[in-house]
Amino acid sequence: MKICTIIKKEYKQIVKKKSFIISTILSPILMAGFMFLPILLQKAGREVKKIEISDFSGIIQKQFIEESNKSKAVKEALKLNFTNIIKTDQKQNDLIKVYEKNTLNSKDSNFQLIPEYKNKILDKIIDGLILIPENVKKTRQIYFCASNISDFETNKYISLKIQKILSSNILKEKIGDPKIVEIVEKATQNIKPTLFIVKKEGTTKSRSEIPYIMSIFMLALLFSIIMAYGQLIMRGIIEEKNNRIAEVLISSTKTQYLFYGKILGIGLAGLTQVTLWIILGGVFVSRFSFKIDKSVLSFFTPELIIYFVVFFILGYFMFSVLFSIVGASVNTDQEAQQYATPISFLLIIPFIIGIMITQNPNTSIVVLASFFPLFTPTLMFMRISVAIPSFFQIACSILSSLIFIVFLAWLGAKIFRTGILMYGKKASLKEIIKWTMYR
Amino acid sequence: MNDYIVVLEKLIKDFDGKRAVDNFSLKLNKGEILGLLGPNGAGKTTTIRMIMNIIAPDSGNVKILGEKFSEKIKDRIGYLPEERGLYRKLKISETLSFFGELKGMKKIEIKKKGNELLKKFDLEDYRNKKVEELSKGMAQKLQFITTIMHSPEFLILDEPFAGLDPVNIEIVKNIILEKKREGVTIILSTHLMEYAEKIVDSVVMINKGKKVLDGPLSEIKSIYGTKFLKVNYNGNSEFVSSLKYVKDVRDYGKEMEIELQDINDKDKLLKDLINKLSVNSFQTTEPSLSNIFIKKLSQTNEIVEGDNI
Repeated sequence: MKICTIIKKEYKQIVKKKSFIISTILSPILMAGFMFLPILLQKAGREVKKIEISDFSGIIQKQFIEESNKSKAVKEALKLNFTNIIKTDQKQNDLIKVYEKNTLNSKDSNFQLIPEYKNKILDKIIDGLILIPENVKKTRQIYFCASNISDFETNKYISLKIQKILSSNILKEKIGDPKIVEIVEKATQNIKPTLFIVKKEGTTKSRSEIPYIMSIFMLALLFSIIMAYGQLIMRGIIEEKNNRIAEVLISSTKTQYLFYGKILGIGLAGLTQVTLWIILGGVFVSRFSFKIDKSVLSFFTPELIIYFVVFFILGYFMFSVLFSIVGASVNTDQEAQQYATPISFLLIIPFIIGIMITQNPNTSIVVLASFFPLFTPTLMFMRISVAIPSFFQIACSILSSLIFIVFLAWLGAKIFRTGILMYGKKASLKEIIKWTMYR
Repeated sequence: MNDYIVVLEKLIKDFDGKRAVDNFSLKLNKGEILGLLGPNGAGKTTTIRMIMNIIAPDSGNVKILGEKFSEKIKDRIGYLPEERGLYRKLKISETLSFFGELKGMKKIEIKKKGNELLKKFDLEDYRNKKVEELSKGMAQKLQFITTIMHSPEFLILDEPFAGLDPVNIEIVKNIILEKKREGVTIILSTHLMEYAEKIVDSVVMINKGKKVLDGPLSEIKSIYGTKFLKVNYNGNSEFVSSLKYVKDVRDYGKEMEIELQDINDKDKLLKDLINKLSVNSFQTTEPSLSNIFIKKLSQTNEIVEGDNI
């Protein structure tokens, strides 16, 4: 069969390349790095932060600094260092009052820091400044000013700790009996749940960020190999056009064979790479399983790996056809990039949706979007990696993808047939549509 | 009528409203070499592509080897397109395997035939080199090998001599003649008239998609007759074209081809020439193919005026 000749040639041409061997070996190493990352991140990464407190109420500062600086968690994990501001400036308190008054009357108002405080932060003498206004007891409002306010852990610590001191302060004042205060304090302590992820394979202790990080990682991997192999096809076709091999090929065999042979050959090479990864990954895990975080290991279920392969195949076929249409319509790699960018968006959009929905992978918009064929490979896989949807949904998405692929491949073959013989000029969208009408 | 290897009937092809091939018909016997001539953009490649079923004619019929074009037939045809191309990353041996298999050859055949042809073209030492490492001429030869390796019964060679040095032109020319002796039918499209002249049996010339000349080479030459003289000379020959009885002159500086109104004026011409030039040789001759080509072209261009070629 002539199609086998073409499949064989395309397959060999890729698998024999140095870059294939390099990426096959390098990617699992990268992957292993990701497996260790959560542990590494926890150990290193944070720098000591110096935070000052300016307490105009005078009821929080002392206890806050004492208790915080005694706590091991604050010193070693959060690496926070609290000190009180040497000279509290009453002017700042007045500014806060103005601000609060304005806000109360819902007038627009900028929060103002006195220059001295502002410059301290800007000059990086301190990392942050906690302002506790005079009437904090009443308003339950504090202010945290910093150049970086995205450190959620620090924000959370400050808020919880001050809340605790404040309520204990109020309790002491109102109840007076220290025993009762203690009981109430205990009764109102925060409850922190230990997280267990439940899967068919078993229930494992995990941290909330692990499935999130891992599923984004897997999605990135899926995205990059679909893109990589799609672009390989595109460049192959442009080469055939530029070298004018197309004419010889078409006079020797059917264009359909050429088109499908190419897609299948390169797809097989991609599948070979994925298979090698799984094998290498398996070997690695079995050797070093004691060193890998259990919650990371529990993420890679056999089911997930099978779905990874399935959605790679589906995604590859969809996007390889799209990329081959681009290849057949242009003449140079530069021209191709113009068309390739919108295609990559088709892959990136579900990626972004995916990241946004990790918290709630089953909202109706996401469920609906995951059935849209071009989004299915990435979005459905993302859903599966976070929390497996019903098998019915998965089957439906696979089926709709398959139907879409058949349609797309039929269309692609038609465009390919005409496009591959067009030299010298970039085809317009109108022309491409016209090509699909040819017999 | 089934003896014809190629039958083209009234082929018409338009591109964006412009007629590229206009009512083109052709019949080709087994073992015949046809020279397909014409200026750039005349419609040669379009015609060839229609024969090869690469593009479909808007109307008209193509029959090859006695039947309509089909997948089966592809293995019996060899096609060397004008635009050359091979996979740059493949080795020579891999290239031969790929194209051989694509033409339905078995592995043993490919090896045997491939070796034989590599030797003939002096490429056997490069078997394991990649195509991108070959010189342009070598790649050209390799492509020629892939075209004829599967022993096709019908060959279309579009500019087979382009990019080759004289030695390799000779090799290719000899192989074309060898194929002819084997009974292979060949369509040869080329600009190199002096080579075409030596090997083609008949000639079809097209201009602006229309056939302007058709017939056996000897017949065509006799129509243009024996009114031609070839003169080898030294001196200033400018005056020749102004002589009344001279119809046309093609002057190459040291040699000129002169066409007379009447061949009987040749003695008069010789006298006039000797007066002003030093004449080294003076002989009656057939018009060269390139002369006919240029003549025919200027004739038809006068008829269809306005367009540039």
